[in-house]
Amino acid sequence: MASTSTNPSAAQAARQANTSTHLGALPSSVYTLPQTAQLEALYTIIRDKETSRGDFLFYSDRIIRLLVEEGLNHLPVVNRTIETPTGATYDGVGFEGKICGVSILRAGEAMEAGLREVCRSVRIGKILIQRDEETALPKLFYSKFPPDIAKRYVLLLDPMLATGGSAMKAVEVLMEHGVPEERIIFINLISAPEGLKTFCGKYPNVRVITGWVDQGLNEKAFIIPGLGDFGERRYCT
Amino acid sequence: MKDITTFSFESKKNTVLVSHGRPPWYGANGLRTGDAFVVAVAGGSASGKTHVARQIVKTLGSIPTVIILSQDSFYKFHTPDELVLAHANMLDFDHPDAIDMPMFAACLADLKACKQSNIPIYSFSEHQRLRDTKYLYGATVIITEGIMALHDPALRELYDLKVFVQCDSDLMLARRIQRDLKERGREVGGILDQYLRFVKPSYDNFVRPTSSFADIIVPGSNNAVAIELICTHIRRQLADRASRFRQKIAIPHRYLLGTETCDVRVEDLNLTVLPQTRQVQGILTILRSKDTSRQDFIFFADRLSTILVECALQHLSYIPNTVVTPVGAKYTGKKLDSDSVCGVSILRSGGVLERGFRRSINNVPIGSVLVQSDVSTGEPLLLHAMLPAAVRFRHLAEHAWVFVLDSQIGTGAAAFMAIRILLDHGVRQDRIVFVTFLVALAGGVSVLRKAFPEVKIVCAAVDEEMREGWLDGYKGETNPEGVGRRLWVMQPGMGHIGDRYYL
Repeated sequence: MASTSTNPSAAQAARQANTSTHLGALPSSVYTLPQTAQLEALYTIIRDKETSRGDFLFYSDRIIRLLVEEGLNHLPVVNRTIETPTGATYDGVGFEGKICGVSILRAGEAMEAGLREVCRSVRIGKILIQRDEETALPKLFYSKFPPDIAKRYVLLLDPMLATGGSAMKAVEVLMEHGVPEERIIFINLISAPEGLKTFCGKYPNVRVITGWVDQGLNEKAFIIPGLGDFGERRYCT
Repeated sequence: MKDITTFSFESKKNTVLVSHGRPPWYGANGLRTGDAFVVAVAGGSASGKTHVARQIVKTLGSIPTVIILSQDSFYKFHTPDELVLAHANMLDFDHPDAIDMPMFAACLADLKACKQSNIPIYSFSEHQRLRDTKYLYGATVIITEGIMALHDPALRELYDLKVFVQCDSDLMLARRIQRDLKERGREVGGILDQYLRFVKPSYDNFVRPTSSFADIIVPGSNNAVAIELICTHIRRQLADRASRFRQKIAIPHRYLLGTETCDVRVEDLNLTVLPQTRQVQGILTILRSKDTSRQDFIFFADRLSTILVECALQHLSYIPNTVVTPVGAKYTGKKLDSDSVCGVSILRSGGVLERGFRRSINNVPIGSVLVQSDVSTGEPLLLHAMLPAAVRFRHLAEHAWVFVLDSQIGTGAAAFMAIRILLDHGVRQDRIVFVTFLVALAGGVSVLRKAFPEVKIVCAAVDEEMREGWLDGYKGETNPEGVGRRLWVMQPGMGHIGDRYYL
């Protein structure tokens, strides 16, 4: 696995520049998007309960694309020299390593369109995790992965990281299928600090790409201010 | 493009004609080099003014854009009382007061200063000014015609050449009867009544006396010699105003400074260069490679344009905005401080960035300009401009954010022209965001930057070199001698981006 010596991530630079914002101290495996005014405006639209479904789709897709682009920057590249149509040689880089997406049903599916816009015809596995009514713990109900998933980098998709329960269960399932922890990149739009802390405490080598870190959870474990139920707003309202 | 020889002049009095495109009307400093050339054609009703205007256009031959502007468009808005009179042929349309002279002068002054103008439309069947206006822009020559064209001193100030068409009164009457019977469906009695009541006194009192202001008096018939003289004069004036500088800015250090080393530094150009993440580097490598398939080229061009536009959108300004989320929490975030964002792509290769642009801005209007190189001089020619409504009207243009899309800035000639067009329309320089894949450091960008210091330029990469080459001409309709011309290729570049995306 080779890589260039250049800065792998725009978010890393942004993180250093953003120490004075609302973010505070995040675990070192967490990467946020550059917290620009423009990004804040995108979040303001999707948080607004008055936003129409059409606008919700358009603007959440924009954020998802940015997140996937950021996630892909954590994949390795190799040096590659090519010839241009003008006859010049150019020292560039080539992409390395196979990837696949894994979406946590059902809200995670909403991120698949954005993923495929960036990664054409990428394979996508699925996981269904629900709360077990008896134990109140997350339980795996269903999973379907590409057969060679152990050899791939996995982009794990779930739009909201609240308590982190189902995300941790999903990582556990992936690892059971032979995916090493450091090859999992978890992508979400909004995280609660509590969930981030629990998740990163348990899986410190999984990289978490998040668009925005919110204030926290309310007594019902909803993210505040959040945006409500992502799957509900995307599919039903 | 309309062919001059086959264009029908009868249909409308206000006409825009384009024969072979409009050469630069600005210098390397970005400022306009001169005004449009304005010819006024006055004369009595049915004296043959439209014919003279038409003959001038025809005789000029291969001329850049010409606008023919008719005084009829500027009849005033009528009150209900006036409307009754008008329909009874009792309203005096031949008095100078019937015409909105201040508006006429304002529209002409805008067009002469190379700005856009939205002129009123007057309906003869309704005898009324309509709500709609007609958008005009980009004339090198403007011909205004009308019986009162030389009457108003403010208008006379704007003319470069004043022509009066002299014609016998009885000939004018004969033509008038013929025309009104055929084209306007009137009766002979009504026509004569109107003639004796309004037309004749008006001619004697207001029209004929203005012939003393004319530079040239042209006979109403058999006037070929006079028209040839006028055209020779116009051609000479236009030649003096031509601005040629593409070669100079293509490689500024060689042609402007006379050295072989380029000492332009990226940091002096105030460019926003995309952060060179692994993905951006990988995408650029794929787009630059000559072995990339068309399918891959399209996919990665779309992806890069999306990333670029997202980056460019950071240049807009945002203001605080408070919303309530579905969980009932208040959230103070931000929103865009403008409801007018649009794009203009420079065809053809600007179209390569359109998908990314549409992915990032919902339902965004995208206009276009078509700029091609003159086969003999290599200078850019504006062949077509279709601009979004937010730019066409000056009061809207002043508040609009305009994204200009093109795949690269090489010589900078097309970028120069597109930006000048937007400034002509009243768009603020600091609200123009130029989005492009590649910028050539040694190319025209340094001159462009000096000319338009506040325009924001967002690019994915900066290439070092401009290689000079020679394009052999081939004989064709537009190039009968098959002359070749110099051309410039960016190195390492991506090859011909438009061809790779579309062909």
